[in-house]
Amino acid sequence: MLAMQHSGLLPDRRLYRAMAGLSVLLVLVCLASLLLGAGDVGPARAWAMLIGQSDPEARFVLESLRLPRTLVGLVVGMALGVAGALLQAVTRNPLAEPGLLGVSAGAAFAVALALVLGATATTMRIGVAQFGAMAGCLCVLGVARVSGAGNDPVRLVLAGAALTGLLLSLTSLLLLFDQRAADEIRFWIVGSLAGRRLEHLVALMPSLLVAVALILAVARPLAALSLGERVASGLGHRPGLIRLLVIVAVALLVGAATATAGPIAFVGLVVPFAARALAGPDIRRTLWLCLPLGPLMVITADIISRLLVAPSELPLGVLTALCGAPVLVAVVRARRMSTL
Amino acid sequence: MGTGRFCDKVMGGTLLAVAMLALMPLSAWAERSVETAYGVVTVPEAPQRVVTLHEGALDVAVATGVTPLGAVTTRGGDNVARYLAPHFDDIAIVGVVREINLEAVLALEPDLILAPPQLAEAQYRLLSRMAPTVVPRNEGLDPEAWRSETRLFAQALGREAEGEAALDDVDARAAELAERMAADERPSAVLVRWMPQGPMVMSEALFTAGLLRAAGVAIHDAGLVREGVPHSDPLSFENLSRVDADWLFLATLNEEGREALEAAKASPAFARLDVVARDRVVPVDGQLWTSATGPLAAQAILDQLDAALSP
Repeated sequence: MLAMQHSGLLPDRRLYRAMAGLSVLLVLVCLASLLLGAGDVGPARAWAMLIGQSDPEARFVLESLRLPRTLVGLVVGMALGVAGALLQAVTRNPLAEPGLLGVSAGAAFAVALALVLGATATTMRIGVAQFGAMAGCLCVLGVARVSGAGNDPVRLVLAGAALTGLLLSLTSLLLLFDQRAADEIRFWIVGSLAGRRLEHLVALMPSLLVAVALILAVARPLAALSLGERVASGLGHRPGLIRLLVIVAVALLVGAATATAGPIAFVGLVVPFAARALAGPDIRRTLWLCLPLGPLMVITADIISRLLVAPSELPLGVLTALCGAPVLVAVVRARRMSTL
Repeated sequence: MGTGRFCDKVMGGTLLAVAMLALMPLSAWAERSVETAYGVVTVPEAPQRVVTLHEGALDVAVATGVTPLGAVTTRGGDNVARYLAPHFDDIAIVGVVREINLEAVLALEPDLILAPPQLAEAQYRLLSRMAPTVVPRNEGLDPEAWRSETRLFAQALGREAEGEAALDDVDARAAELAERMAADERPSAVLVRWMPQGPMVMSEALFTAGLLRAAGVAIHDAGLVREGVPHSDPLSFENLSRVDADWLFLATLNEEGREALEAAKASPAFARLDVVARDRVVPVDGQLWTSATGPLAAQAILDQLDAALSP
């Protein structure tokens, strides 16, 4: 146990094996994401194009439609998975999930508000979404602190559910008031990867880099914090500062993911849950495993969303909620829930 | 035996009805009756205080020279539809189509209410206590339903002749466009609403679709819209080529149709459509093209079609 803690962010052998297995799986899912779609370009035709056959139609579909959404899914999955793990560690609550706690809804509402006020630029949207995510984070944590819900995971989730409900209805209200942006805003109620482009992804990179730097800085103190506030203080860390930095990182990640793909719920719940099942509760190990697990969930859900109702597509957010809700019930029912 | 008795009953009923109809002019000489979805309704001879709870009814009223006191908003707006707005200085808004503000209707003291075919029965009961309420039969999604609606509303307003004239004007205008169109082959067209995650294809059974067909445009839904549903789900970008046609009408609920077109063009799958390369994408007003009905709406749509298609 102690040896593991000394290892910092360096993965040990068991973690290494799990990472290798998950990475192989992720590569396979990414390949499937390139091969499968709602259109006429089937797996055989896509594969023929990939191994060098000339087929302009298949080339277009793969390069301009399926590759961008796969890459966006990759980044969004990582961001949401990691954000979930961080939020759960900092609140010491296995149910803390950006989608459930109103962080995603805060981001979506901020974007919708900006759209109504006449904004369109891609880069502006990311900042706005991150600001909204930050506000959502602080709101729900503030409520939890006031009512002493920090010790009761379910109460925190209830506060989050109330905030999510409030923000979603405010977003719907904007939709009612200003139909000018209605079609644009509808996208911000249920997320989707369809129609996302590479330039959306490039615009995210600066803030994601900041988030990564923050996470590298706080991973070790955060693990110490999970041993209790006194232990962390005793080891020379400042719990208040750590919490604030983690929340900034979560807001950056969730804001970036939401600005690109809309609110996608439950990824931040299911992914850290699976990561803990594979690697135990240490945040430094969970964070590593969230990197392949997040995209695995998002891209798999995206593939299913393309195939279920072809030639149309389902919104991705609907599918992640379908996969995630049973996990939420399972976590709530598990006896050892509040021990994180 | 049984049939005989049934016939007697029917005969008796008919006789009674005829007798009542014959007596009616005596008891209410300044009233007329119209056949609605909720049976025969007696309306005033010359309604003075008309409230319309249906965009199509408002259109018919204006087309036949009646100015209603109150109306519901257009879908996706907070006032009457833009194409009708110049006809009013000030019209009371009594709610949205789905949610009628009954108190606002009552406050206007109407003597005739023109309602949409999908009006719920509970609402009808309340409204019909305020004033005679005319509800057309619900024909589902039918491109020609607006004609019988127009006739019914015109009749209720006591303006049958004006209503017929408005219908004839639309037919004449459509025929004139169709004649010009016949010179070249009937162009194909698709009507979509643009969404960030993909376009929704509008049904072939919409009012606008019927109108465009009459004007010689072969509008189709690419086989994507189920029967009885006004539009498809957002189409996958991978299948966008299905909406390729001679013309693509891009309906948006905002006025800045050009902006929506630019947003669509930013999508690589849209930019490579043949119809985009030929610059035959026409941004149109969704309020008018996907929501309105009536003779004035028809004229406005045909005008825009004419402007778009004539070189």
